[in-house]
Amino acid sequence: MPVTAKYIVEVKRIQEILNAKTWVSNISDSDYITGIYASDLMSDVLAYGKPGSMLLTGLYSVQAIISAYMAEFRGVAFIRNKTPEEETLKFAREKGMFVLSTASDMYDACIKLAGLETVIPEEAPEAEKIHKSDNLTTYTFKIDGNDFASAGMVSTRVKAILKSIGYEPEIIRRAAISIYEAEMNVVMHARKAEVTLTASDKEIYIIVIDEGKGIGDIDLAMQEGYSTATEEQRALGFGAGMGLPNIKKNADKLDINSVVDVGTRIEITFHIK
Amino acid sequence: MDKTKCGHQWEMVNTRSGFIITEICHKCSLITTYFSSEEHPPLEEYRDGEHFWNVMSSSQSVQFDLRCRLCKTQVSFDELSALMLCTSCKKDCKVFELLERGQGHSVWVYVAFGFKPYKDKRQLTGEKLGILEDYFNMKRKSTKSSIKIVSHELIYDEDSCMGGFIMDEFLLSLDAPANK
Amino acid sequence: MKLKDIIGSLSLNVLTNLDDKEVTGVYISDMLSDVMSNAKAGNLWVTIQTHKNIVAAANLIDISAVIVTQGTRVPEETIDLANRYNVIIISTNDSTFALSGKLYQIGIK
Repeated sequence: MPVTAKYIVEVKRIQEILNAKTWVSNISDSDYITGIYASDLMSDVLAYGKPGSMLLTGLYSVQAIISAYMAEFRGVAFIRNKTPEEETLKFAREKGMFVLSTASDMYDACIKLAGLETVIPEEAPEAEKIHKSDNLTTYTFKIDGNDFASAGMVSTRVKAILKSIGYEPEIIRRAAISIYEAEMNVVMHARKAEVTLTASDKEIYIIVIDEGKGIGDIDLAMQEGYSTATEEQRALGFGAGMGLPNIKKNADKLDINSVVDVGTRIEITFHIK
Repeated sequence: MDKTKCGHQWEMVNTRSGFIITEICHKCSLITTYFSSEEHPPLEEYRDGEHFWNVMSSSQSVQFDLRCRLCKTQVSFDELSALMLCTSCKKDCKVFELLERGQGHSVWVYVAFGFKPYKDKRQLTGEKLGILEDYFNMKRKSTKSSIKIVSHELIYDEDSCMGGFIMDEFLLSLDAPANK
Repeated sequence: MKLKDIIGSLSLNVLTNLDDKEVTGVYISDMLSDVMSNAKAGNLWVTIQTHKNIVAAANLIDISAVIVTQGTRVPEETIDLANRYNVIIISTNDSTFALSGKLYQIGIK
């Protein structure tokens, strides 16, 4: 049986080894992480961090946990015994992440954790959502309806992924705007959605499938300024009725299918020149 | 122990992390800089008497004191906003002159910046600059080179100075790095 | 441990001029202000930062060498400045975490 070295370590082991204080737990005994990313630079966490990892950082700002969440990490360990801010703890509780702190400095923490690499059979649980085959990379993201606090995170994450793959800034900008608009539509009008991004050397292809109230008249929804947003949503600065028109303007191809009271499927394509 | 005769051995104590904030008043164009240890330093414009302050930049940094291990004298460096390595960008600059003079002996010149507006805020004294210089030189292992720390007053034109600042500007940015 | 031995055993890429220096310990941080206040002379400084300002911090503390991780491209400007100030910059494709494990394995405590 082929074996491969993988980093799969139970969170309670991490706590023991780092002699860490647990600020927010949110984990069961069997929960594990699948990697460690040691960094104080949040843009790099987004670009290179792998889902399922733990962030090890000396950056004590709330941005640390937000970035870890966006990169789909399980939790954060702060070095040098820093007391995390209340805002960090609150965010972690809401998002189901863990927060630890350790007296170790970064090198000390890294070398203690590095020895935990385990050799396991190939077919062990795969926590990463990334599938790679023939220059084709697929990523999936989930969006919750009405979650205004996290709105925009998928688009930021997609932007980072596309940039790290190396697409032209212009196409990345158009893709990020389109996903942002689609994301806002989900937050305002749907219960939840799944976004799938497929990136290849020929095209960037995005599907957003939501469960929600659907769109009654697609032609009307495509008109600039047409909006069904509530007063409250508009007061927050959303729902100007530019969402779908803006996607159409930026995308090379836009397909919309919708069933009222079931949901909407939006397919957005960008051709690589 | 007689503090005046002590051959001080400095150590860094009381380090506090925070942000160095630069603000401009959009009415009178006055620029102010200060250290903030708030979790969330101001981002929106705010009014303070006749000024309307707008944040131009905020960088993460630390403030610290130096304390002598032997005589326990403690000196605060609250007047220091940042240290900058001179990269000799301008021939007319006095800092560049100093660097040229020291280069044969490998003396690297760092500039200690105070907080703005310089005339209204307390600035580092020559004595404190000397203590800071002693501290860093004592820490160095290399006998081949040393550092010199001078006041920002020596800089020819601060606005166009190209030196290397020791402060952290982009840690919180979520824009992907443009490399690889 | 000698810097040249570390570079040899871990096949690191040297981007600047190279002096052999004695390495004592490792300091990992992406914050220059942190390096200024906590790193020690002789430390290997491991970071993902590549801005020319890293030279200012490395030179001030008399760091033995800077190791840039994650295969991050180091700008020409940073390398030029590093050469002028005798700061050594090395790069690796490993992540900061992976590199730490290797440095520990070859005996840097």
